[in-house]
Amino acid sequence: MHPGTYLKLLVAAGAFAATAGIAHAGGTLRYATIGEPPSLDQHVVTSDLATTIAHHVFEGLYTFDASNSPIGLLATGETVSDDGTNIAITLRKGVKFHNGQDMTPADVVASLKRWGAFGARGGLLFGNVESVAATGDHEVTLRLSRPFGPWKNLMAFINGGPAIYPASVAEGAGKEPIAPQDYIGTGPYRFSEWQPNRHVELVRFDDYASPSGAADGYGGTRVAEFDTLRFIPVPDVGTRVSGLKAGDYDYAESIPGDLYAGLEADPSVVTILNGGPIFGLVFMNSKDGPLRENFALRRAIQTALDKVPALQVAIGPEGLWRANGSFLPEGNVWHTDAGTGSFSMGDADKARMMAEDAGYAGEPVKFMVSTNYPFHYDTAIVYTRQLAQAGFNIDLQVYDWATLIEKRAQPDQWDLFFTHHGFVPDPILISVMNDSYPGWWATAEKAGLKGRFTASADPDERRAIWAEIQALIYEQVPTMKTGDIYTYNIASPALRGLGEATLIWPHFWNVSK
Amino acid sequence: MLAYTLNRLLTLIPTLLAASVLIFLFVHLIPGDPASILLGDAATPEDVAELTRALGLDAPLWRQYLLWLGNVLRGDLGTSVFFREPVLAVIGDGAETSLLLAGMTMFWIVLFGVPVGIAAAMRHGSWVDQLASGGAMLFASVPTFWLGLYLILIFAVGLGWFPSSGFPSLTDEGGVLNLRYLVLPSLTLAAPNAALIIRLIRASMLDVAREDHVRTARAKGLHPTRVAIRHIFRNALIAVTAAFGFTFAALVSEAVVTETVFSLPGIGRLVVQSILRRDYPVIQGVILIVVVFYMIVNLLVDLAYARLDPRVSLK
Repeated sequence: MHPGTYLKLLVAAGAFAATAGIAHAGGTLRYATIGEPPSLDQHVVTSDLATTIAHHVFEGLYTFDASNSPIGLLATGETVSDDGTNIAITLRKGVKFHNGQDMTPADVVASLKRWGAFGARGGLLFGNVESVAATGDHEVTLRLSRPFGPWKNLMAFINGGPAIYPASVAEGAGKEPIAPQDYIGTGPYRFSEWQPNRHVELVRFDDYASPSGAADGYGGTRVAEFDTLRFIPVPDVGTRVSGLKAGDYDYAESIPGDLYAGLEADPSVVTILNGGPIFGLVFMNSKDGPLRENFALRRAIQTALDKVPALQVAIGPEGLWRANGSFLPEGNVWHTDAGTGSFSMGDADKARMMAEDAGYAGEPVKFMVSTNYPFHYDTAIVYTRQLAQAGFNIDLQVYDWATLIEKRAQPDQWDLFFTHHGFVPDPILISVMNDSYPGWWATAEKAGLKGRFTASADPDERRAIWAEIQALIYEQVPTMKTGDIYTYNIASPALRGLGEATLIWPHFWNVSK
Repeated sequence: MLAYTLNRLLTLIPTLLAASVLIFLFVHLIPGDPASILLGDAATPEDVAELTRALGLDAPLWRQYLLWLGNVLRGDLGTSVFFREPVLAVIGDGAETSLLLAGMTMFWIVLFGVPVGIAAAMRHGSWVDQLASGGAMLFASVPTFWLGLYLILIFAVGLGWFPSSGFPSLTDEGGVLNLRYLVLPSLTLAAPNAALIIRLIRASMLDVAREDHVRTARAKGLHPTRVAIRHIFRNALIAVTAAFGFTFAALVSEAVVTETVFSLPGIGRLVVQSILRRDYPVIQGVILIVVVFYMIVNLLVDLAYARLDPRVSLK
C-alpha cells in the first residue's frame, strides 16, 4: 500500500473517532483517600474530600478557571442590571442529568432554593435574594434586595455550593444530606456505588454534554477518559505511599512533608503540589474569658509568636509552606500586605510588656487543639512554648476533633482554639467573616467594612475594602493565621493530563493512563 | 447438654439488656455529635442544631433509647448517619472481612503455633525449646503496624507477590482469589498470637507432664510421642481451648491496627471510624453484635470443655 494511503486511513480513523466521540482511554482510576467523605451532597457538606469525589458528579452554574476567576459551566452567561440587583442567567442547552432527564430552569430554581435555605454557604448569598425564578426556556433570574458583589464567586464554588440537582431531588431535601440513591448530577461521571469502608465508585456518563472551549482550570471541555473512578479509603499514610509504589493505586492524597524530599527524587512517583494553600487559624474568644474585647491583650499574644519555627516543625520542607500573613496567597487577586507587619514578630519581651499594660496577671488561657490533624497539635506545642516564654499561662487542652467542635460552640469552655481553613476564592468565605462562627467576632468596625465589602460589585473597590478588613483583623485579632501550607499528593507516572498542580481539588476528567 | 445450652442462651437476655443500656449511655455521653462532623468546620451552631433536629437526636435520651431498643428487638439496628444504609448491612460487610481475616489468622496459628509449642515442651531445655521460646518472645514483642509495613514493603512493593492493601468482597470480581489480599494481614496478626499460643501450650504441657498419670503412662512403657499427644497434650488443651476462643473473638473485633495498616474494611476500623464520626447507630450496633459474639464464643468454649474433660458436667 502507498504510504499516503496509510496516512489517509489514519486521518479518517482519527476523524471518525473524534466525531463519534467514543475514543476513551478507559480503565479504572484508583484514588487512595485519607478517609471517607461524610456525604457527597455539595449543598450542605464542606469537606474537601467530599468535593474531590463529588465535583465529578455534580456541576454548578459556574466554576473557576486556572486564574481562579469564575467561568460558565452549566450557564453560558448572564445579564446584570445597572443597579446590580437583577441577574438573568442563561443556561446551557442540551444538558442531561444522569437519570436521562434534560436540565430545565425548574431544576436550577429548586436547587438554588434548597441551597439558599439549607446550604453551607447559601445563606450568605440568599440573605440578599428576594426571588429566584425561571424567566425563560433557558433562563433563570435572581432578584437581589441590594447589590451583592461576591455572588458569582459563591455560585462558582462547588464546595458547600449550589450544585444543580433535579428538582425532584432538591424539592424534598432539607438540612439532612441527600441519600446516595439521589446522587444525580450533570457531571462527566455518575455515581455508581458506595461500599462503606471499601470505596466510592463513579462511572463514566455517556450522555455527558461538555462545555466548549479549551480546558482552563475547572472550566472548558471535560472529557471522561476513564471508565471508572474508584475512591478507596486508605487511612494509613505508609500504606497509601507503598500501595502507589506497588501499583495498587494510581493516585494518593495528603502525604506528609517529611516524605517530600524522598518522593520528589523517586522516579516511580510523581508529586503534585496543591496550588491553593490551606492555612492554620488560632481563633480568639470574643464572647467570654480574658480575651473578650481586650484587643491589647490579643495583640500581645500575636506579638509573642514567631510563626516560622512552628511551620518548620509542623510541616517540614521549605517548599511546602510560606510564612505569609496575607489571608490569600501571593499571585492571587486578593493578596494584600495590609496589617501583615504584625504577622510573625516573635518578640517575647515586648509581648510581656504589652500583656502587663493590657492588665494580664497570669490567669490561665485555655487553648484547645485536636490531635486528629497532626500539624494542629505540632503548631500548638510550639506556640504554647513561645507564649510561656512571654509570661502567658497557657492551659493546653487536647481533644479529638468531634469533642473540640462541640466545646468551641460553648463560649465558657475556651479562650483559643486551633483549626485550619481551606483555600477560598473570595474572602467573604473565610470563616472569620461569619459573625456566628465560634469566636463570634462581630465588632461595629467589622460590620461597617463588611457591609461595604459585600455591597460593592466593583472589583477594585472590593480589593481595597478587603485590605482594610485584613488590617482590622491584625488590629482586633479575632484570629491568627499560622502561615500557608501547600499540601501535596502523589501519582503514578503513568497518569497523563494531570498538570503540575491542582487548584484546590484534583480532577480526573481529561486525565488518562 | 441441650438443656444447658438453652439455659445459657436464656441468661444472655438480661446480660444483653444491661449491655444495651451501657452501650447507649456510653455512646451518647461522649462529647461531640454527628451533625457537626457531617456539616464540617464552616457550619454555624444554628446549622448544627437544625441537622440535629432533622436526625432526631434532639429528643430526650430515654426516648431515643426506647425507640432504639424497640427497633433492635424487631431486628432493626437503625440506619447509619453517614452511609445512609441499614446498620446491619454496614456491619455485615465489615463482618465478612473480619471473620475471614480471623479465620485465616487462626489457620496460621494452628499450623505454626501448635506443633512448635508441642516440640518446645517435648524437647524442654534443648536448643529447640530455646529457639521456639526466643522466637515467640520476639514475635510477641514486635508491634503489628511495624511488621505489617515491612511485609508490605517486602512482599507487595518489592516482590509483588501479594496486593499491598484493601480487600474486595468474595462476591466481587476475583471471587475466592480475593483471599490473597488477606495473606499478609493474617500473617501480621498471626505472629504475636501464635507466639502466645506457643508459650501457653509449652507451659501447660510442662505442667501436665509433672502429674502422676503421666508418670504412670511412662512407667507402663508407652511410646514418648503417644504420652505427649494422648496424655499430656490432650490435658493441656483445656487451657489452650479457652485461649483459642478468646483469640478468635479478639481477632474479629480488635484487629484495628492491622486493618488500618492494610486498609481492610473490617469491624475494628469500622468501629473506630464510627466513633470519630459519632455515627451513633453504627457504634451501638457493632458493640451490641460484638457482645453477642463474645457470649456465643464463651458458650462454645464451655461446651468444648465438656467434650475435652469428662469431669466438667454441664447442668
